[in-house]
Amino acid sequence: MNRRLNNELRNTNRTVSSSLEEPIHAKLYTEGEIIKDAEVFIGYNHRGIEKLATQKNFIQTLALVERVCGICSHSHPFTYAMAIENIAQMEVPKRGQYIRVIMAELERLHSHTLWLGLACHLIGFDSMFMHIWDFREKIMDILEEISGNRVNYGMIIIGGSRRDINDDMRRKVNEMLDSLEVDIIKMRDMLLADKTIAMRTKNVGVLPYEDAIRIGTIGPHGRASGVNVDVRKDAPYSCYDEFDFEVPVVQDGDVFARVVIRVLESVESIKIIRQALENLPEGPINLGNKLPKVPAGEFTARHEAPRGEVIYYVNTDGGQTNYRISIHVPTFKTASTVPFMLKNNTIADAGLIIASIDPCFSCLDR
Amino acid sequence: MQEFKSFEIKKEEIVPLAEKKKKEGIRLLMIQGYVDKEGQVVVCYQYEVGNCIESYKITGEAELPSISHIYDLAAAWPEEELYELMGVNFQGLEMRGRLFMPDTTLEGRGQILVTPLSELKKKMLGE
Repeated sequence: MNRRLNNELRNTNRTVSSSLEEPIHAKLYTEGEIIKDAEVFIGYNHRGIEKLATQKNFIQTLALVERVCGICSHSHPFTYAMAIENIAQMEVPKRGQYIRVIMAELERLHSHTLWLGLACHLIGFDSMFMHIWDFREKIMDILEEISGNRVNYGMIIIGGSRRDINDDMRRKVNEMLDSLEVDIIKMRDMLLADKTIAMRTKNVGVLPYEDAIRIGTIGPHGRASGVNVDVRKDAPYSCYDEFDFEVPVVQDGDVFARVVIRVLESVESIKIIRQALENLPEGPINLGNKLPKVPAGEFTARHEAPRGEVIYYVNTDGGQTNYRISIHVPTFKTASTVPFMLKNNTIADAGLIIASIDPCFSCLDR
Repeated sequence: MQEFKSFEIKKEEIVPLAEKKKKEGIRLLMIQGYVDKEGQVVVCYQYEVGNCIESYKITGEAELPSISHIYDLAAAWPEEELYELMGVNFQGLEMRGRLFMPDTTLEGRGQILVTPLSELKKKMLGE
């Protein structure tokens, strides 16, 4: 940070709404309308979830970590369960793994479409925002059809999945996907060809590859700056190595690149869900819903959540509760990029640039 | 299949190890921490080597050298978090001030992981 510059600009204070309903404070140092430097302040809503988890048994913890984030409410118990299963040397039945992946990719779809709609809203393209959120409802319907819930699906148990996908449901979900795929492709063609979106997002909030690597950025935000990191490919888990899919990476590092990445990833997610539904193995979906016996041990599990890598470090002492859980969410590694992206952009674009990391400060304040 | 390997190292090995990993292009995944049953602070430097997480563990050191000059913000934020949650001091770390804990909670730094839940309740809620 350039302290001298900050001191020179300190008298230009004023308050601007960043358009985000999130507990974040960005301090901008400006010359006229141009942002010359910025600081980001987070951590206004610490919830003590890691501390609380040390008092809960392994089944109770699933319900607890599911509430770290509303949008990624499958990713958190998924990652936690993988850590416990690794410590306890449990092998999750194949069918249970496939169902986990289907839910994870549906979650990615609804998260990306949520963000794409919001991005359109932030640039004033409200008709596109409403169109995207309209067909996003189809994804929510599929999630509800499978799990019975629109958020906090409760689909994960230690050792597998809680609910099965029967043949009837599979046919119904496939029909829903047919309709959804048409909408996603239409959205892709519109977003990537629209002049308004290009004018408002190209060369805005640029994060060059060198900065992205130096800061350690991950997820779609990193991949939009050329950082080719995706846990599903780099360290395959569950049954991701059995599916044919691409990890889109672009180099431009601007807000438009972040739109492109999320649009292309949505198309890939549909590919994965279709393959998983088509090849859903026969057999049990879990190892039984009982409190597992977990020996003393430790494991760091990772999952590619919609916003990037979720990391769970779990330490057990052979008892029925967690000795220590350490949760790190994608926003931990993307929020620190905000000051770099804001520099030399206008105040009017600050809200869009901050939103372009697809932040979840609720996750961060776990 | 994701793998996990744990190693014990000494305080003076932290910086040379980080320099070596950085030179090899290996990503610092995270710096984790906890307090063991003897009340000693344990800090784990976790690097991603292929599909394996290599976790290098230091026990019983309340002051450690920062590796933020090697891994920049990828190390600085986790170090600052460990300072706020566990009171570990990282020498050479340029502190931003409060980052993860509210100012009103334990003065924004230090002891939330170290203090038992019952005592935390007394301190924070006045029970």
